[in-house]
Amino acid sequence: MTETLLEAYRTMRTIRAFEERVHEEFATGDIPGFVHLYAGEEASAAGVCRHLDRRDTIASTHRGHGHCIAKGVDVKAMMAEIYGRTTGSCHGKGGSMHIADLSKGMLGANGIVGGGPPLICGTALAAKQQGTGGVGVAFFGDGASNQGTTLEALNLASVWNLPALFVAENNGYAEATSSTWSVASDNIADRAAGFGMPGVIVDGYDFFAVTEAAGEAIDRARNGGGPTLLEVKFTRYFGHFEGDQQSYRADEVAHARENLDCLKRFRTRVVESGELSAESLDEVDTEVAKLVEEAVAEAKAAPKPTRADLETDVYVSY
Amino acid sequence: MGPGVAGIVANPASGRDIRRLVAQASVFPTAEKANMVQRVLASLAITGVRRTLVSTDLGGISAAVLRQLGRHPLPGVEFCDKDPLTGSAQDTINAVRRMVDAGAGVIVCLGGDGTARVAAKACGEVPLLALSTGTNNAFPQMREATVAGLAAGFIASGQIDPDLVTHRVSKLEVVTKARREIALVDVAVTLSKHVGAKALWDPASLTELYCTFAEPDGIGLSSIAGQLCPSPRSSADGVALKLGPVGVTPHVVHAPIAPGLVKAVGVRGWGVLQQGMRVDLAAGGGVIAVDGERELELKPGESAYVELRSDGPWCVDVREVMAEAARRGLLRTTSANEPKKERRR
Repeated sequence: MTETLLEAYRTMRTIRAFEERVHEEFATGDIPGFVHLYAGEEASAAGVCRHLDRRDTIASTHRGHGHCIAKGVDVKAMMAEIYGRTTGSCHGKGGSMHIADLSKGMLGANGIVGGGPPLICGTALAAKQQGTGGVGVAFFGDGASNQGTTLEALNLASVWNLPALFVAENNGYAEATSSTWSVASDNIADRAAGFGMPGVIVDGYDFFAVTEAAGEAIDRARNGGGPTLLEVKFTRYFGHFEGDQQSYRADEVAHARENLDCLKRFRTRVVESGELSAESLDEVDTEVAKLVEEAVAEAKAAPKPTRADLETDVYVSY
Repeated sequence: MGPGVAGIVANPASGRDIRRLVAQASVFPTAEKANMVQRVLASLAITGVRRTLVSTDLGGISAAVLRQLGRHPLPGVEFCDKDPLTGSAQDTINAVRRMVDAGAGVIVCLGGDGTARVAAKACGEVPLLALSTGTNNAFPQMREATVAGLAAGFIASGQIDPDLVTHRVSKLEVVTKARREIALVDVAVTLSKHVGAKALWDPASLTELYCTFAEPDGIGLSSIAGQLCPSPRSSADGVALKLGPVGVTPHVVHAPIAPGLVKAVGVRGWGVLQQGMRVDLAAGGGVIAVDGERELELKPGESAYVELRSDGPWCVDVREVMAEAARRGLLRTTSANEPKKERRR
């Protein structure tokens, strides 16, 4: 158990360090396109994905770096992809919002809001038909919870009794629109009742709360129990996109960082309970810092795609 | 207490935890909670309550009530909007304190065992009327809000003396080095390391259980004692049980420990829990649950004790209030067109 706890911490710390570094690097102007950062939400990706294995698939969002890292996508390839380099996960032609690694069951970050849930119905149906025991997990936000695609996917998953988990990451704002205004039921989990599946709310700052609920939901799905809607509530530490002035929200981030932060809380509790030592956590911090440093240096040094790469990877032959 | 003041506190988070996943616990949607608040408000108005304070929340209950009031205004309704909302149990405490400060004669509380527990921490001597909108409802009553509102209104408006229709219940107090918590129904020691998703659904993790009362038809952890060594709410004593793994213990109870979960629970033994006695808990390195929810994480070696006390909240007996109202004809009027006695021929 302590080993898996240390790995969970490594996942969360890697996401945090990765995102904070991308935040800094983006400000220099070297990163093309848009980036949407996951910092503050780490307990969700880490708490859910630690129950998944190679049989399982996840679909992500425009805020997808955390999901990629938690599902085991190579961190250096991710950084290179964000920099648009040929060593990236998608050979530098996708960027932040299209990082994908099918070999890891990561179907991709997704620029389409509400694009992930229908994809997961597909992979969950495939897993069910082929009897692999696999589970599909769709991460989506409070904005996507209002999209027809998400609601259709919830219906389909229930009708087909699919091995699926829908994780509504409610960070309070769809871009600049407050979810307390835009989500009619206020709680996204309340909508589960309308689709005949359980809906549960957990504290998204608490790794242990997320991982317990996700573990039960994934076990249930794996054993033929059908889909679950899990609402994870927290706030994002950065703006909707890098450069967002965030005039729509008060300074709630400082409070969350100080009092609620998932990494701080995790550290305090596992050290106080005697499950992990502060030294072992510090060691992870050092290793992660080194990994992110190398990822940036290697990405910057890697070549960009050339005109010759223009027509590769455009079509896939089945 | 100023005459004619009442409070309504509704927990937006009740009825949404993991027990919908690990058991078949009911869902209590926001809209239904808002409807219940409306029904209580309408009844309070009928009984002549002149001022009602209603809690606010980020879950949409108070917003829905406000919208409804826009269409169907009721006099004297105020929202507790002075404290910043935290999205935590603190919001319930803040709202109840405001109601107490405003001189409320009764506080209606919508939630489950957890909500009633939090409201009880703050309500002092003001009678509590706990209505069930939660997951596990050993303490709050499953009652129609309209009737509960009438009962609350008769007390708040001074028409019925609360001394006649309220009872002071006992409570369990848990004290650790850093915290003091109360429970209205039960305190359990568990082998869990973390509070996690809060609810308890695996009886194998339980080692000790203390109950203020134990009813044979109860739901939740107190039902373990309810089927083994019942103790009525009217008793000053509680019960204490030592639990252990099934197969090792001399007794096994099949108890409804949560909605949808009837589980085999191993019991080593039990005894009476007397008021005022401090019982040390072997909880170091584990977690203590209050009213079915894991709440206190203890460091290895950290000590804690539990004490049954007589100074729990005053609780409204709705049946008694309504019976008294009937005796005194509070809901009857005499029509001007009262039928005359028929003349016999």
